Amino acid sequence: MNLYSLSKLSGIRQLLLVALALLASCTSTTIDEFRQGETGIGSAETVVVLGRRQASDYETRAEFVSCVGERMGRGENALTIVPEQEFVDAMFPWFEPRTAPLRTRDLERLMAENVVAEKMLDFGVRYIVWLDGHTETTDRSGAISCTIGPGGAGCFGFGSWEDDANFDARIWDVVSMTSVGTISTDATGQSYLPALIIPIPLIARVEANACSRLADQLKSFVNGS
Amino acid sequence: MKNTGLNHKVLLLLFLFGLSSCGVSNVVIEGSFPTPNINKMPVAIAVYYDDALKDFAYLEYSETGREEYNIESGKSHVQLFNVVLPAMFDRVVFVDSMEEVPTLGVDAIFAPAIEEFQLALPAKTKLDVFEVWIKYNMRLLTPDGDYIADWVLTSYGKTPTQTFRSIEAAINDAAVVALRDLASSLALSFDQVPEVRNWLNSR
Repeated sequence: MNLYSLSKLSGIRQLLLVALALLASCTSTTIDEFRQGETGIGSAETVVVLGRRQASDYETRAEFVSCVGERMGRGENALTIVPEQEFVDAMFPWFEPRTAPLRTRDLERLMAENVVAEKMLDFGVRYIVWLDGHTETTDRSGAISCTIGPGGAGCFGFGSWEDDANFDARIWDVVSMTSVGTISTDATGQSYLPALIIPIPLIARVEANACSRLADQLKSFVNGS
Repeated sequence: MKNTGLNHKVLLLLFLFGLSSCGVSNVVIEGSFPTPNINKMPVAIAVYYDDALKDFAYLEYSETGREEYNIESGKSHVQLFNVVLPAMFDRVVFVDSMEEVPTLGVDAIFAPAIEEFQLALPAKTKLDVFEVWIKYNMRLLTPDGDYIADWVLTSYGKTPTQTFRSIEAAINDAAVVALRDLASSLALSFDQVPEVRNWLNSR
């Protein structure tokens, strides 16, 4: 390979990287906050982030729930987060899809059970954050065809789709047993898959963006700032 | 000569691959179940699992009538009941036959049975979830084998489709959710069954 071909290849690579960076950032996120009560948290108190799993046609992914929890527990004003599975297992069978409290009235009833109240105290839970939502893929278009032969293999074509992540976070204060607010997030983004010999996925990080924006908003909401 | 040997090996591999894609997939349900965090009832219970429960397996057929998935959940059911029942009652004795119960000094015999098992795959329902639905017949008998209560319990579990997760793993996850649902229903509704409530009150 001569010097000219090498520099040409490196130029293509740079162009691809720029295109990737531009396209990957094509995600728009909207956050909507509704506050119903005062918030604030002590240093010994914790927050538990749980996913709602009552809907018949979808369920809030555990990965999204842990992503939000993990991010709330990092950086400035980090909160102590109880991992979802650890909490649900310790509280078994009170926070299963069919038995979990749907309203704060149900939480009140649940806290009347001494075993639940004791466990809640052990964890030091001040706030329960209920996440409900999912990511939907729409507007799929394009086609890619791949062939394999004695001379080698390759793909050619172009595909694109749109991801729309909609999540609601309802925050319950365990001390006052009231709902203190709701934060909604809506993130959309277009992903592309051009294929010229090899397919190059340019994925919009829709759910990751929804996770980080929602977690940051929740953190400041719970801290009362 | 060397080439012919290689070709035979490739052909054999292709044949084996072809065979494996035609056979039934075996799914043995595996999961861990937490101990219920509930108040114990002041009752001594003998627990009897019949062979139908211990060896329970469900066969799912494809739309063309071919055997597609063999789901073995007997062992995981036994594992679940072994965790849940000691958390529900003061004393639990596991027995191999009903005949040995009268000498154990227990208040009742608990004998669960699986009546029906249903599986819903995304390929058939066109939904992005794997679903498992199980129907049980729970029986509570006196130490002599007489009827106390007999009730139906259903459990449901679902798990969303995920890239890079096999169908077998998704079926397992949905079944584990269904088993946890069974445990929570049984633990929280046992004393709400009218016949059981009457029996508990009469003691």
